[in-house]
Amino acid sequence: MLKSRRNEILVAAMLVAPFIAIYGWLFVYPTVQMIRLSFTDAPLIGEGAWIGLENYVKLFTDKVYRTAVWNTSYFVLLTVIPGTAVALAIALVVSRLRGYAQSLVLAAFFLPYVLPVTVVYLIWNWLFDVQFGILQSVIEPIMGQPVNVWRRIPWFMPTVALVTIWWTNGFSILLFLAGLRNISHEIYEAAELDGAKRGQVFWKITWPLIWPVTVLCLTIQLILQLKIFDQVYLFSLGGRTAQTMVLVQYIFDQAFVHNDGGYGATVAVSLFIIVVAFSVLQFQGLRARGER
Amino acid sequence: MTATTAEVSAGEGRTLRFFDVGSVLLTILTVICALIWFFPLYWALITSIKPEDEVVRPFSGLIPENPTLNGYIYVITHSNIGIWYLNSTITALSITFLVVLMGICCGYAISQLRFPGRMALWWIILASFMIPVPALIVNHFIIIAGVKLLNTHLGIILPQLIAPVTVIVYKQFFDSVPRDFREAAVMDGANEFQLLFRIFLPMNWGVTTALAIITFIGAWNAFLWPFLATKTEDMMTVTVGITEVQDTFGVAYARVLAGAVMAGLPVALVYLIFQRRVTQAIMLSAGIKG
Amino acid sequence: MNRTLMKVLATVALFAFAAGAQAQETVIWWDFLGGGDGIRMKKLLEDFNAEHKDTIEVQATTLDWGVPFYTKVQTSAAVGEGPDIMTYHTSRIPLAVSQSTLAEITADDMTAMGLSQDTFAAATWDAVHVDGKQWAVPFDTHPIVLYYNKDKLTAAGLIGADGLPAGLNGIDNFKAALKKIQESGTKWGISTVTADGNFSFRTIYSLLCQQDGVVLSDGKWLDGDNVQKLENSVKVVADWVTEGYSPSYTDYPATVALFTSGTSAMMINGVWEVPTMVDLEKQGKLFNWGAIELPVFFNHPCTYEDSHAFAIPNNTGKTVTPEKHAAVLEVIKWMEAHSLFWATAGHIPANSAVTETAEYKAMQPQATYAVLTANGIFDPKSKYAGVASPLFDAAGNAFTAAINGETTPTEAVAEMKEILDALE
Repeated sequence: MLKSRRNEILVAAMLVAPFIAIYGWLFVYPTVQMIRLSFTDAPLIGEGAWIGLENYVKLFTDKVYRTAVWNTSYFVLLTVIPGTAVALAIALVVSRLRGYAQSLVLAAFFLPYVLPVTVVYLIWNWLFDVQFGILQSVIEPIMGQPVNVWRRIPWFMPTVALVTIWWTNGFSILLFLAGLRNISHEIYEAAELDGAKRGQVFWKITWPLIWPVTVLCLTIQLILQLKIFDQVYLFSLGGRTAQTMVLVQYIFDQAFVHNDGGYGATVAVSLFIIVVAFSVLQFQGLRARGER
Repeated sequence: MTATTAEVSAGEGRTLRFFDVGSVLLTILTVICALIWFFPLYWALITSIKPEDEVVRPFSGLIPENPTLNGYIYVITHSNIGIWYLNSTITALSITFLVVLMGICCGYAISQLRFPGRMALWWIILASFMIPVPALIVNHFIIIAGVKLLNTHLGIILPQLIAPVTVIVYKQFFDSVPRDFREAAVMDGANEFQLLFRIFLPMNWGVTTALAIITFIGAWNAFLWPFLATKTEDMMTVTVGITEVQDTFGVAYARVLAGAVMAGLPVALVYLIFQRRVTQAIMLSAGIKG
Repeated sequence: MNRTLMKVLATVALFAFAAGAQAQETVIWWDFLGGGDGIRMKKLLEDFNAEHKDTIEVQATTLDWGVPFYTKVQTSAAVGEGPDIMTYHTSRIPLAVSQSTLAEITADDMTAMGLSQDTFAAATWDAVHVDGKQWAVPFDTHPIVLYYNKDKLTAAGLIGADGLPAGLNGIDNFKAALKKIQESGTKWGISTVTADGNFSFRTIYSLLCQQDGVVLSDGKWLDGDNVQKLENSVKVVADWVTEGYSPSYTDYPATVALFTSGTSAMMINGVWEVPTMVDLEKQGKLFNWGAIELPVFFNHPCTYEDSHAFAIPNNTGKTVTPEKHAAVLEVIKWMEAHSLFWATAGHIPANSAVTETAEYKAMQPQATYAVLTANGIFDPKSKYAGVASPLFDAAGNAFTAAINGETTPTEAVAEMKEILDALE
């Protein structure tokens, strides 16, 4: 009995060893290091002196950091709720289709999700090109002249948010589709027999039943968009980076461009805290409302 | 009975007709929305096969007048896209293989075996979702630079092997395998490895293909880490490389977009061929986060 | 069959052995040269490799200009994985030296390459020195110039008897000229890069210099009346946009496209766009054009210029073999000797032996604007200045708003001074 137990532990150890090795070396260890680094003034490569909370104090007076927090929050606002709403709407209409038609339509909405960010960047850069972009022929009549959306501050974030929703919505649509499929058809039939109108069907039946999926979707999107980097970095290249900065980008900027590893780590820790706080809060809040 | 049926059918007939019009309109709206959503991809594709002077003509059309592959030829002959494809393939396949394998092994162990620290490990993995991996790029860079693996395939691969999702999905699936299978096999004298690779894994082959495909797509599309970890063109993946290409061509939109199309085509094809599996994988990986 | 195979294998092996016996040095090269520059540099590298087959092979990588390039260099050198040689902007040398990114170029190195102080212009020579030590070898200088559409300017009566533009000196004269051009049917009098303040900084800096203003003096930023002079400079460019002579938020490719399509009659851009014009002209797709020194808007001529130089990174922990070092020096020496071809990229070669030749003097429009190096001014020599530096960033953030009318020049300059003063 003892022998087979020891054997079991040995086998388990062998099976989990690779994962733990990678995880420990490249996840747990860097996290600990990141926290430690944030209390030093180290450059990117090399040692630095312990300076205690100095970096954290600097966060509060750093104008660009405040901008990064604001921009990240703004971005989250522009993508999480609108994105989820759009996904639900699309899922609702797609779920009405069947078979081949549904596959085709779904593919159209989902295809962007599988593309790399750089491809998305090049495509939308072209669409909005100030001189030849086809979307400028929509913008020009409204604004009177073509708009360089990547260089005009009020336009930048909303446009990047639009592109992001286009790019990542497929994921949320699938979640909603799965959720909608789980709703028993009989409930709808009963409502139809009772003479319920479309709007009532949605608000009284679909919405409450799909609520867990909505929560899931919002949570995933929130955590995802707080970590935004790729699109913002690419679209703001060569532009007014101080005003379009977001948090992960600021980590990169401080650590790699300004060679301030310690401060970069501080920003990273702050992001970590924000992500945890946000996700816990939101989760609790939505759960509470759901259980009402 | 017949009267009721007649009443019901008459009633149905009325409501059916009402729903029909609204229904048809809604379907048309759906199709239009799908077309609009697809338009950016279509426009990029079309532009990439137009000659440059047609691209920049005002009111350039939705169908190219003189389709040409010049853009693609230029990208193939003037950039290192072949090498980039190679790097992307090597790194993406390696990551996929290693992540799935580690997920299988670790998920099986947590699910089926009892060992000290099992629950602790499980909680650490679950909690790790909240730590934003992009925040660790600084330390990843320092570590990989420290072992002199920058600008190498291994250096690109290693930080991308962190995939708690795979472990979690496998653990859940292995949990749902009926205990009889295990008991019967143990009685037949099978050891754990045989159990894993001959029984548990084949039972969950669908999950494996789904996760493999989604991991592959994720690895192919990765930007931030490969961008930081590579320094010379011969090591770049195609996702990173095409952003270098912009400057080399000056202002030549068809070429730039040809590069973009070439970069995105492999993963797009993988999706279109394995559509069902990808869908399944998404639902799986989200299902466990709730 | 078997024997023939053996013979073939043996021959192949012999060749391989022979080829390997001649030790070939590989030189890893990084640059940021794209567009017209990139094509010409690639040609130079090809020629070098062909001439030095079996002895030296240069393996070149081109990275994105600006912040991406310099960030990669810095992070790579810090871990000892930088290249063997790279192109570098002299404006950034003080910053690089402060971060120990560069390796010193010694007097022996210069002798080995057959170069000396006399090879280069005084300002250029000074630009590669920090604290009396040399850190790079200048390759070219590249100022900004005024490109003009000769046909359109002639139609507006702005071409003088010598065939060159006339009546452009002075802020009001220039504006009047822009107005005349637009009245005779051209959409925009002038196009400049208004979407990126750090590019417009070159124009603004030139105008500042024309008033004898400086950004940095005795370690103080924008001291005294330099604030007012900088405001005046910003105002000139901002007025062009607000008064409708120049399109707003125009990025680099659009600026060039506007000029080459004839939508704008003039353009302020770097000399590196000359090959673009030359190539288009050869295809018969361009109007009569020219490029001249920036007009005098204030007191005297002055134009911003920067310089490309070759630098050797200081790869931490890596020792360079004498053979490798010699190979690198050979590359630099060869490039310097062949910089006449580089002049076709629009740049002014730093090697005076080349600029003195009859062939160079015959090049147009290079010969017309080559004279401006006498009135050229480099970035302030500071570790906060140069491409992808804090000053560069500050300009991008402060000036873009002012140029496009979002804020006033006064506000922009105040913001700039605030950022600069906060630098440690």
